[in-house]
Amino acid sequence: MIKLENVTKVYGGDTVAIKDVDLEISKGEFVFLVGASGSGKSTLIRLMMREEQPTHGDIWVAGKHASALASWKVPHLRRSIGTVFQDFKLLPTKTVYENVAFAMEVTGKHRSVIRNQVPQVLKLVGLSSKAGRFPRQLSGGEQQRVAIARAFVNRPLILLADEPTGNLDPGTSVPIMRILDRINRTGTTVVMATHDHAIVDAMKRRVVQLDRGRVTRDQSRGVYDTREIAQVPAAKPEPPMQLDVDEPGTEEIDAGDTSVVAEDAVLVDDLEGNEEE
Amino acid sequence: MTQFSYIIKEAFNNLGRNLLVVLGAILAVFISLSLTFGSVVIQEVVRVNTIQWAQDVRVIAFLQDDLTPQSTAELQAEVASWPQVNDVFYVSKQDAYAEALVLFSNNQAILRVLDESPDLIPASLRVQPTDPDEYELIVTRLEATPGVLQVESAGDAIDAMIAIRDGLQIVFWLLAVALGVAAVALIANTIHMAIYARREEIEIMRLQGASNWFVRTPFLIEGALEGLIGAALAVTAIVGIHRLLVGQLAEVPDWINLAIENDFLLRQGALVLLFGVLAGLAGSSLSLAVHRTLRS
Repeated sequence: MIKLENVTKVYGGDTVAIKDVDLEISKGEFVFLVGASGSGKSTLIRLMMREEQPTHGDIWVAGKHASALASWKVPHLRRSIGTVFQDFKLLPTKTVYENVAFAMEVTGKHRSVIRNQVPQVLKLVGLSSKAGRFPRQLSGGEQQRVAIARAFVNRPLILLADEPTGNLDPGTSVPIMRILDRINRTGTTVVMATHDHAIVDAMKRRVVQLDRGRVTRDQSRGVYDTREIAQVPAAKPEPPMQLDVDEPGTEEIDAGDTSVVAEDAVLVDDLEGNEEE
Repeated sequence: MTQFSYIIKEAFNNLGRNLLVVLGAILAVFISLSLTFGSVVIQEVVRVNTIQWAQDVRVIAFLQDDLTPQSTAELQAEVASWPQVNDVFYVSKQDAYAEALVLFSNNQAILRVLDESPDLIPASLRVQPTDPDEYELIVTRLEATPGVLQVESAGDAIDAMIAIRDGLQIVFWLLAVALGVAAVALIANTIHMAIYARREEIEIMRLQGASNWFVRTPFLIEGALEGLIGAALAVTAIVGIHRLLVGQLAEVPDWINLAIENDFLLRQGALVLLFGVLAGLAGSSLSLAVHRTLRS
């Protein structure tokens, strides 16, 4: 689904952000990118969404040779990628519903499809009752859930999340991770850059650790580097996250789940058909 | 269909957002194109009034009706051989009639006379002197030539008219070009501001995979609209002023014919509108090309 071959990214001639990275992520995987600030996590995400071009090396994303893709073909590639950021990037003048619908409007989805899909995906993130609110009327966690809904509403093959819980307190992160996990279970490949030890340790998914632009660890069912936790005296080990605990709102998500999965199977087939063209 | 209505809606939203700047840009288009269109109209008025003096003709020798084609050709060859003469054109009776219809299009009495006797105006030789100011000798020699009925030379009025036209043309065109450049720059600026105001939206659109044309078209439409509005105002103003002058005809010396065919105004007006749209598109394209947010 994503493949990086010998990728190097140098900024301004001398700042090396990514150095000789080889990485392969299969369809349906959930991958954490971990590492200190400036280790190259965000650059890697930006390279995968073709917001940046590598200085050397090749990148394939969703069956396309992203690093060699003509710029006019980039929009098409982006339609198979959903993106979530630390700062949410919601439009303040649009309601929750409109923010999510916007992602479909701009790619030319028919009005009836929008009317059908937006409520479903809002249900998935547990915000059906707040569809008419504006972002400023929501908590940080809720805003991020809107952003995830927007990233997922077009049913992308890949979801790239750059520090999605970076601005949130640990309690708020739980529902976010539950939603990302659920999205992953529909077959969507999820790549998430994060600092959050607790989340990585609780999820037990593949962990790719970066240090000064190089991959220093690639471990399936890994944890956040324990050595780093020990170096930060203030950080108390947090109680492990109970991702499968039933919390208010879970039922709502479950209710929407069957239809989401069913539809996803069809949509993923569609997109794969496109790839072969 | 959602996309189409979105694009139109956005184009108009932007116009409202920076009203003052947009008005400035429209004003620049308006002034620039008013000068251009005004200049074209003045040129047409002068052309109509000096139709027989076109191509630097300064002397006209009307010929006797009984001249045979052969002697006419001989006469033309002889005059052409004179050292003071650069070129000689022959204008037949039919051509002279067509010319008179243009020249006197504002004078019903003359038109009626012409209608009754279309062969009233004699054929003529039109003489283009080597030196436009030195044609007295040509006049004298022609008057002494057999077969010539009457000789007329361009008076001071014609010379002045042509001189004013040429002078105005240069000034108008220079101003129009300078203001045209300013207009394109001002339109580019309004588009720049519109892009800036919508930069978050554009960022999200690009991340979601909105196609380039979808992101850009509202801005192109906005620029084109600004150009079109400015051009429409210019056409309205010039046509209005012209109508006003024709209405006040009594106060204009009657040897000046201000009547211009509606066809001409329509054709040139349409060109001016097209020009406004093109200036608008140029301005917005410029802005879109420069703007970093829109690059993939």
